[in-house]
Amino acid sequence: MSKKKIKNKIQQFFLNLFFIFICFVALLPILYALILSFQSGTAALSTKMSFFSGTLTLDNYKNIIFHHPLFRWLFNSLELSVGTMIVAISCSVTSAYAFSRYRFKGRIQTLRLLLILNAFPQILTMFALFRLFKTLHLLDSKPGLVLIYAGSMCIFSILNLKGYFDTIPIEIEEASKIDGASETQLMLKIILPLAKPSIIVTAVMVLIFVWNEYLFATTFLLKDTSYTLAGGLYQLQASDYSRSWPLFTAAAILISIPILIVFFIIQKHMVSGLTSGGVKG
Amino acid sequence: MNWKRKYQPWKHTIPAFILIGAIIIFPIVYTLYISFTNMNLYHWDNYGFVGFRNYIRALFKVDSGFIEAIGTTFLWTFLNMVLQIVIAFFIALGLNAPKLKLARVYKTLLMFPWAMPAYVSILLWKVGIYNTDFGLANKLLSWFGISKIDYLSKNVPAFLSCMVLNLWMALPFMIMMFDGALQSIDQSYYESAKMDGAGFWVKTLKITVPSVKNIMMPAVLMTTFTTFKQFDIIYLLTQQKGALTGATLQTIITYVHQKAFVSNNYGLSSAVSIVVFVLIILISLFLNKGLKEEAL
Amino acid sequence: MKRVISSILCGIMVTGLLAGCGNSAGTTKSTQTGSQKESSTKSESASATESKAGTTTSGKMQTVTIWHDGDESIMNTIETQVNTDLKAKNVEVKFEKKSGLTDQLKLYGNDEANGPDMYFYAHDSLGSFAEMNILAPVTDFISTKDETDMIPMTTEACTYKEKQYMLPVYYETLLFVYNKDLWQGDIPASTDDLLSYMKAHTDEKAGTYALVNQHSTAYNVAPVINGFGGYIIDKNANPGLNTKETKEAITYNQKFAALEGAGDYDTCNTLFNGKKAQAIIGGPWLMSGIKQAGINYGIKSLADFKLPNGNALKPYSGVQGVGVLKYAEKSKKEAITEVLKDLCNEKVGIALAKESNCAPANQKAYSNADVSSNEMIMAMKETTKSAVPMPNIPQTSVMWTPAEALLAAVNKSGEDVNKAADDYQKQAKQAIADMQ
Repeated sequence: MSKKKIKNKIQQFFLNLFFIFICFVALLPILYALILSFQSGTAALSTKMSFFSGTLTLDNYKNIIFHHPLFRWLFNSLELSVGTMIVAISCSVTSAYAFSRYRFKGRIQTLRLLLILNAFPQILTMFALFRLFKTLHLLDSKPGLVLIYAGSMCIFSILNLKGYFDTIPIEIEEASKIDGASETQLMLKIILPLAKPSIIVTAVMVLIFVWNEYLFATTFLLKDTSYTLAGGLYQLQASDYSRSWPLFTAAAILISIPILIVFFIIQKHMVSGLTSGGVKG
Repeated sequence: MNWKRKYQPWKHTIPAFILIGAIIIFPIVYTLYISFTNMNLYHWDNYGFVGFRNYIRALFKVDSGFIEAIGTTFLWTFLNMVLQIVIAFFIALGLNAPKLKLARVYKTLLMFPWAMPAYVSILLWKVGIYNTDFGLANKLLSWFGISKIDYLSKNVPAFLSCMVLNLWMALPFMIMMFDGALQSIDQSYYESAKMDGAGFWVKTLKITVPSVKNIMMPAVLMTTFTTFKQFDIIYLLTQQKGALTGATLQTIITYVHQKAFVSNNYGLSSAVSIVVFVLIILISLFLNKGLKEEAL
Repeated sequence: MKRVISSILCGIMVTGLLAGCGNSAGTTKSTQTGSQKESSTKSESASATESKAGTTTSGKMQTVTIWHDGDESIMNTIETQVNTDLKAKNVEVKFEKKSGLTDQLKLYGNDEANGPDMYFYAHDSLGSFAEMNILAPVTDFISTKDETDMIPMTTEACTYKEKQYMLPVYYETLLFVYNKDLWQGDIPASTDDLLSYMKAHTDEKAGTYALVNQHSTAYNVAPVINGFGGYIIDKNANPGLNTKETKEAITYNQKFAALEGAGDYDTCNTLFNGKKAQAIIGGPWLMSGIKQAGINYGIKSLADFKLPNGNALKPYSGVQGVGVLKYAEKSKKEAITEVLKDLCNEKVGIALAKESNCAPANQKAYSNADVSSNEMIMAMKETTKSAVPMPNIPQTSVMWTPAEALLAAVNKSGEDVNKAADDYQKQAKQAIADMQ
């Protein structure tokens, strides 16, 4: 028995070592950005071999927090993200469920069509949507932008959720139907909890998309009070010649941190309902 | 009764379809409309129909450079996807090993490249890492006594450099997807396999892979298209105005951007986009014959 | 099901067509009924700073919105100066930063409800906007008399097809900036002498350079190309990538490029600020970094260097100025006229020179002691002797890629000048033809 325990412990050790190594390698550019954000000056590079000159400063972070409306940006980003998540997920869950459970004519073709639609180069989309929204008077409106974001993420959400729904054995639903559950009850009490991991993953995907999106945000929203974090970051550095790298990286890191916090929190909820005692056999 | 059964599934899908119709389909239709006009700088507001003229011009753009771009794009997509799937799969397997206490921490850390805005990452890699004289990559190499490498000025190193960056930015997503998929596998399968004396590779190949295949299919397909359409990485690393690096790497979309979109001739650009789109559809239909129906 | 799908698609197509058609009809309507539509939208819109007031006779403060994509501190200086000057006349300007300004104007340029009244930008995009028909000539508001003090080159840069669309405010050119502590002896007066100095003082292995320059950017090589009598694109939209003079210039520049390091912006800066390069060719935007690195710098005008053919180097000059959107002409004519008139006098130029080292377009500003004692500004003024405004015709925008690809091919990939020039000339011609 103890031989096995030792073997396990060694495996654990090497596994941990492996991951520490991978994380370090993957994070090297981020570490670089982090160190850069604490530098004074504006350059990204230095002639010296070591990582930059010795003077570390918090000035860049202070600059962003105090001299820029960081919290307003944060609030705007949150508004747009939450709005998009709600719209996108609610539209996709019902559609994904339909595609998964019902076998209807045109099902496969529509799915294929959705997949292919994604292949259209996005560059001209902005122009077309601008004209559309101008006619509908939806320019400079957050709900309008939410619709654009939700629409862009809809296809992926549907396909993703459907894939997950497919793995939920239909016996569970049939069992509840026999017990007399209505469709809404079925949806809310059985399907949604079981699909939690996938819904969370999809929601996080939507969140990241909206959080980092700056092109549409800076074009469709006009007042500078409605800038998002990504939009503010983009404005900070738009040209090669006037960019201050330490400021830029400091802002980038500040913007990434909320996402990481979200990631950390959702890990707990990602454990699938099926493996924790759903249906056996 | 029959009527209700037939239309019920569509009832569920209507909200999504309205959204998709407005945001995804409408731009395509509008682009189609513009492609038949002569909208450009000189006819910004007062454009008129010109029939198929733009399409004839678009087809002339399908020259040797375009063919080369197609080849590059396929190579790019294939290599990136294979590497992404294999690497992400094994990392996710490792993360899901039982009793790995710090799994949550590792997972969060590995997501950082994805959390960082893409724009920042690409510029950071271009200026901070791939810079020949002072970038991080060459600094590390000189630490080990290896001579400096020019990452972006010739096509092959540029291709590999773009690929590394793409993998760095895209792996977190794949890892997360595989992680979720792995968690949906019923553990009892593994227990019975263990009791039958199956080793690691047998368990992986016979249980894990088939189980995740169906869940992963949408993510893999979507990522394939995204990789195919990838513009920012190659453009910002090698082709930004004022910062051409000397590599003449082109994928379909950068080629089309350079040849058509820069001209501000929306009529022509729209026609070219439609042509490329039709090409992509034909290619995917061709490839689809290999995919079973159940995959979707 | 197929029928359902096809009817939905038809519906979307029809909506799309209607939206598209409706839009173009809508824009013509809005430009015609400009002021009427305005007053109705005014009552709806809440934000005071965005509202477009009626006429100047109302006595209320009129706000002119100006979009820009430049340095915030420069725009603040202009805003403060103009607002102080025009307070008594109840006019104020509000600058708003819009990244990617050219693309934004393409979308909002004929959108009266959401677009700006004026925009502040470099002059080279002027032709494109003029062709798009979204600009009103500034001569609709002010007369040429108001502009008598402007340096002729600056007003020339702002003129397209005989009409002046922009009012110049300040300009910039490339300069020769050197590290006084590192440079040995005098600065050479000819480019050939400069080349010999570089050969003697550059050690690539040790990483020390005499001069660093972005040797494969069209803007930085233009001084040589123009000096040789070549051109990237001429007034009549003919690209000149394979003319004899241009090829000579590129070959000549190649000798310098071999000694100038990798040639990208960040490397050049790092080398100069890290004291590994004795000199750098760049513009005013470099200054803050140089000062922060504590370099004891000196400045020389590029016009002081003579090429082998006797001509001086002829760098491009970029003129920054303000243009007026067409629809604003009807609703805010008086306010805009006041703003333009104020920008014509030298006060704004002097303030900009003092605060941000900008070279004013107004000649009177140079009699001010603060301005004339600024080494950099006077060097730029010196350069106007030979500087050439960047071409402002629309075709310029498609020239940069072939021109820079040509330079990169010759300097970085070692291709033959003649063949590469012919290739890229062909590409340039095709790109220009594609614009029609």
